[in-house]
Amino acid sequence: MEPLPDFQLLKPRSVAEAVTARAASAHARFLAGGTDLLANLRSGLIEVDTLIDLGAIPELHRLGAHADGIRIGAGVTLEELAAHPQVARDYPALAQAAAGVAGPTHRAVATVGGNLCLDTRCRFYNQSEWWRAGNQHCLKLAGDTCRVALKADRCYAAFSGDLAPALMVHGAIAEIAGAQGRRELPLGELYTDEGRAYLNLAPHELLVALRLPAAGGLRSGYEKIRIRAAIDFPLTGVAVALRRDGERVGELCVAATGTESRPLRFAGLEVLQGMTRDAALVTLDKLIRKQLGMMETHLVSAGYRRRATLVVAKRLVQRLFAA
Amino acid sequence: MNPFKHKGAGQRIPLVDGIEKVTGRARYTADLFAPDAYVGRIFRSPYAHGDILRLDVSEARALPGVIAIITGEACDQPYGVLPIAQNEFPLARGKVRYIGEPVAAVAAIDDATAREALKRIRLEVRELPAYFEPEAARAAGAVLLHDNRAGNLEREVHHEFGDVAAGFAAADLVREETYRCAEVVHAQMEPHAAMAAYDAERDHLTMHSVTQVPYYVHLTLARCLGMDAARIRVIKPFVGGGFGARVEVLNFEMVCGLLARAARGTVRMTLSREENFLTHRGRPQSHTRVKIGMRRDGVITACAMEMTQRGGAYGGYGIVTILYSGALLSGIYAIPAVKYDGYRVYTNTPPCGAMRGHGTVNARHAFESLLDTMAKELGLDPIEVRRRNLLRAPTETINGLKVMSYGLPQCLDAVEGASGWRDRIGRLPKGRGLGIGCSHFVSGSAKPIHFTGEPHATIILKLDFDAAITILTGAADIGQGSSTILTQAVIEVLGVDYARIRVIANDSAITPKDNGSYSSRVTFMVGNAAVQAAENLKKILVEAAARRLQAAPESINCMGEIYCVHGDSNRSASFNDVVAEALKGTGTITAKGTFTCPVEFQGGKHKGGAVGSTMGFSYTATVAEVSVDEELGTVKVEKVWSAMDCGRAINPLSVEGQVQGSVWMGMGQSLSEETRYEDGRHIDASLLEYHVPTIVESPDVEVHIVESIDPNGPFGAKEASEGALASMPAAVVAAVENAIGVRFTELPLTPERVLKVLADRKRREARRRRAEPAYEEGAA
Repeated sequence: MEPLPDFQLLKPRSVAEAVTARAASAHARFLAGGTDLLANLRSGLIEVDTLIDLGAIPELHRLGAHADGIRIGAGVTLEELAAHPQVARDYPALAQAAAGVAGPTHRAVATVGGNLCLDTRCRFYNQSEWWRAGNQHCLKLAGDTCRVALKADRCYAAFSGDLAPALMVHGAIAEIAGAQGRRELPLGELYTDEGRAYLNLAPHELLVALRLPAAGGLRSGYEKIRIRAAIDFPLTGVAVALRRDGERVGELCVAATGTESRPLRFAGLEVLQGMTRDAALVTLDKLIRKQLGMMETHLVSAGYRRRATLVVAKRLVQRLFAA
Repeated sequence: MNPFKHKGAGQRIPLVDGIEKVTGRARYTADLFAPDAYVGRIFRSPYAHGDILRLDVSEARALPGVIAIITGEACDQPYGVLPIAQNEFPLARGKVRYIGEPVAAVAAIDDATAREALKRIRLEVRELPAYFEPEAARAAGAVLLHDNRAGNLEREVHHEFGDVAAGFAAADLVREETYRCAEVVHAQMEPHAAMAAYDAERDHLTMHSVTQVPYYVHLTLARCLGMDAARIRVIKPFVGGGFGARVEVLNFEMVCGLLARAARGTVRMTLSREENFLTHRGRPQSHTRVKIGMRRDGVITACAMEMTQRGGAYGGYGIVTILYSGALLSGIYAIPAVKYDGYRVYTNTPPCGAMRGHGTVNARHAFESLLDTMAKELGLDPIEVRRRNLLRAPTETINGLKVMSYGLPQCLDAVEGASGWRDRIGRLPKGRGLGIGCSHFVSGSAKPIHFTGEPHATIILKLDFDAAITILTGAADIGQGSSTILTQAVIEVLGVDYARIRVIANDSAITPKDNGSYSSRVTFMVGNAAVQAAENLKKILVEAAARRLQAAPESINCMGEIYCVHGDSNRSASFNDVVAEALKGTGTITAKGTFTCPVEFQGGKHKGGAVGSTMGFSYTATVAEVSVDEELGTVKVEKVWSAMDCGRAINPLSVEGQVQGSVWMGMGQSLSEETRYEDGRHIDASLLEYHVPTIVESPDVEVHIVESIDPNGPFGAKEASEGALASMPAAVVAAVENAIGVRFTELPLTPERVLKVLADRKRREARRRRAEPAYEEGAA
C-alpha cells in the first residue's frame, strides 16, 4: 500500500453540483465510503486529481417507503440498510447481502452506491504496482493482454458486489443523474460483461438511488461462498426470490455475483413456473450451468466457484420453499 | 509460613504492558516520531534467478530529493543467523535468486520521491533456470543457486538411533504414508519496520527495529556495516507479534542501517504487507514420508521418516529446521528405534525460516496422522494408542534428549474427559467428528547458536532511593508476555507489591544482552536468571534489615513489604526503611542473576545433536471437533479442547492465551493458509488472499493447564507459547476423517482439496461397483 496520491477534495451539496464537478475533470471520481476506492488509489490502480465527496448530499442518504415499495439512496450505508426494518421484512435477500459485506467497520461507512459500482476484481489486477509491472501488466490496466484468457480482446475481471443480485431479484430500478438530466433503468442494465467498462454510466453520471417495487409475496434470500466468513469478497454470491404457488413454483428469480464481469440474473426461469420444487431444482441447475461463464479470475478455481454457485442456489431455493 | 507465597507465580494478571497496547499509547517502530527522517525503500528483483549484468541507478540518483542510493556494493559481508551458513547479502551481489529479493535501496525526502526513484532503477540480468519445487532443484544438471551446495541441497541429515530394522521386524503392522504441508507464514499483525539514525560526527548508529533478536541485529549490523559494535545501539520498541518472523536478522534491517550511513542521517522503512510476505521466513513446504512399526497392542517398535523441505533461496535457519524435524520425533513417545533422512533444498522462492513450533509441526502432523491410521486398523482407540507409548520421566531419549518432567498422560486424561470423548467418539452424526493430536516443544534450545562462553541469560535488578525495583532485561517482549513473566518471577521471590516493579527492556545501551525471543527460551532461561537476581537482591535486603533491626540475618523474615525478626513481630521495618538502610554507604544497588543450561542438557554427541536439546519439554494433547459440508467441501472447527503441560503456569491467563493462539494458528495451517507461487511469483501476498482465519472462524478453545512442576524450570515452569500448535493439524485431520470417513494427507484442507479427494473417493467407489458413471465435475 502506498500513501494516497495528492488530490483536491470537493464537497458538493447537491446531486447537480456533484455531476457538474465530475464533468469538469477527466480524472475526477466520486467518493462515498471509500472502502474500495481508497484502497485502489493506494494500490495505484486508479489515477485521480479530484475526489468528489458525496457525504454532504442529503438526497443520497434517504431511505424509506416509496410508492408501493422502497427507495434507497445511493449514499445509505450498508449498516443502515441491513438494519432497516422494512428492508429486513420485505427484502430479506438485500438485508442479508448488506450484512455480509466485509466486516462491521467497512459496513459502517461503505454505501449502497459504492457496492453497486464496486470495481471489478481479478487476481492479476488487485496486486501491487511492482507485482503488475513484473507480470507485464494486463488488459484491465496498462497492458494489452488479458492474463486470464491470453487471446481475449476483452477483460474478464469479475464483479463482486453483494447487493446487486439481491436487488435484481427484487426488480430494482436504478435512478441515474447526469449532465443531461435524470434517467432510470432496470439495475441489471447498469452493467456490461466487460471487466474494464463494467458500468453503463457516462463519466459524468451518478447513481442516485434504487427503487424496489412492493415485495408482493416474494420470499428472498442471499448467500455467498468465501474462504473466510468475514472480510473476503464473495467467490460466488447468489440471491433467490421465490413466490410459491402451493407446493409449486409461482415465480422464481435467481441472480449471482462474483461469477463474471457483471452481476448475472439468470434468464429463462419462467419455465419453472408450475413445477414442483424438485423438478424446478433439476431444471434450474441446467439453466444456471448453461449461463455461468466463470473464468479463472480468482485464486480459487472457476470449477469450484461454479459448483458452489449451483449448491448455494439449490440450497436457497430449498430454504425458501421450506420457509 | 511465607505470607507472600505465590504473590507472583500463579497469578492471573493482565500483561504489564497491556494498558499501553489496548489504549493505543504503545509506540511501535513505525510510530516513532522522527520528522527529519528520510524514507527508505527497496528495489526488488522481478526475476526468479539470474546473473546481474547491469544495475544502473544513475537516473534515480539524479532525481531531486533522492539522498542516497545503495546497491550490493554497499556490503560484501554475507550474513545469516547460523554462523555456519551465512550466504545472504543485504542487497543482492552478482546474482538474484528469488522474485522480491532486495537489489538496491533508496533514501529520499518523502515517499513519492522514493517511489519514483525506484521506477528509474534499471536492472538487467541473464536469466537462469529457476526452480520452485525441490524435485526440480535437485534434478541432475540443475543450475546451482549457491556454487558450494551440490544438488541444491543446503543440508542432508541421516540419523539412525536404535535398531530400526529390528524394530520393524518386531512389528505386527508396518505402514507408511506421505504427507504434504503447504508453506505458511507468520502473518504477524505489525508489518516489518526499522529506523536507523546515523550520527556522522561520532560514527554512531542507533537502530530501532521490530526484531525478536536485538542482540543478533547488533552483531549483524556490526558485521555488515563494518562498524565496531560499541558504536551501535539497538533498541526494540513495542513489537506487534513475531511468531518467528523476526528471530533472525532480516535484510531490511541492514539495508536501513546502510542507507542511514549513506544518507548521513536518519532513515525509516516500513515494509508493505506484500514485502512482508516476500521477506517471509515462515514454515517451509514439506513432503514427509513416514513409516511406523507397531505391535498389535499399539506399542511402537520403530519409526522412519524422510522429510524434504523447500527452503527457499538462502540458508537462514534452514539447517536447524531440518534437524529439528528429525530430533523431535523423540521426546514425546517411547520409540526404541528412529531413522531420519532430511533434505533441505534451495529453491528460487523467498527464504523460509523459523515459525512457531520450529521444525516440528509438519513432522508431528505426519507422525500423529499415521499413528491414528494404524490405531484404526488395529481397532485401537486413538487416545489409547498414545497411552501405550508414553515415556516415564526422568529419562533420556535414544538421541540424547533429556525429559525431566512429563505431563502428557494428564493432558490425555484432561482432553478425554473434557471433550466427552468416550461417550461421543463414533456416535456423532455424519459430517461431525472428533480427533486428537499430541505434540511437544522445547523450553529454549539448550545450546546457543553463538558460543561465547557467556551465560545464556542475564538479568539486572536496580534498586534505588525511591525503593522501586527496575528489571533490566534484553529479553524481547513481542507480545508473548515475557516482561510480565519476569515481573511475576521477581515478585514471587521478593514479595513486594507490583507497583514497585518496572521493566526496562531491549536497549543495548541500558539492558544486559539477551539471545532473544526464540525457541520458547525466555520463561525458562531468563526466568531462572530473574529468580537468581531477585534472590541476590533479597540477600542484600535481608542483611540490611538485620542491621536496621539489630538482629542476625538468619533471624530475619522477609514478608515482602515488611521485614521482621523471626518470633518477634514487634521488631519490624518497612520495605522503604530496609532499602534506605541498604543504600547507606553504597548508593544504588544492582543485583545480577544469570542462567546457563548445563552441558549435559545440550544434546547428543552426533552431528547436529544440539538441535532439539532442551532442559524441559512442554506437552500438549488437543481434541478438535469439526463439521464438514461434503457438498461445498468446507470444514469448520466447532470446538477445541487443548491440555498443556507447561510445568507450572506462572501466569495462567497468559498461558491460556498462548495455547489458544497456538491452536488457532495450527487451525489456519490446517484449513486455509498457504503461500502460493506461479513461476516464482508470490500470488497471494496480502491478508486478503492469504487466508488467516478471522474471529468468525475461531472456535471456542478450552484450555486445560497441566502442571508437572519441572525440576529445573523457574518455579517448575516450562514453555507455553509454541508446543500446542503442532497438535492441532493432526487433530483436525483426524476429526475430519471421523466425520466423513476420509483421511487427508495434504494441508491445508481447502474446500477445493476436500472436494477433489471426495470426488476421487466417489470415482473409486463407482469403479468398484462397476455401475454408476464417473463423477462429473461441477455436479451439485
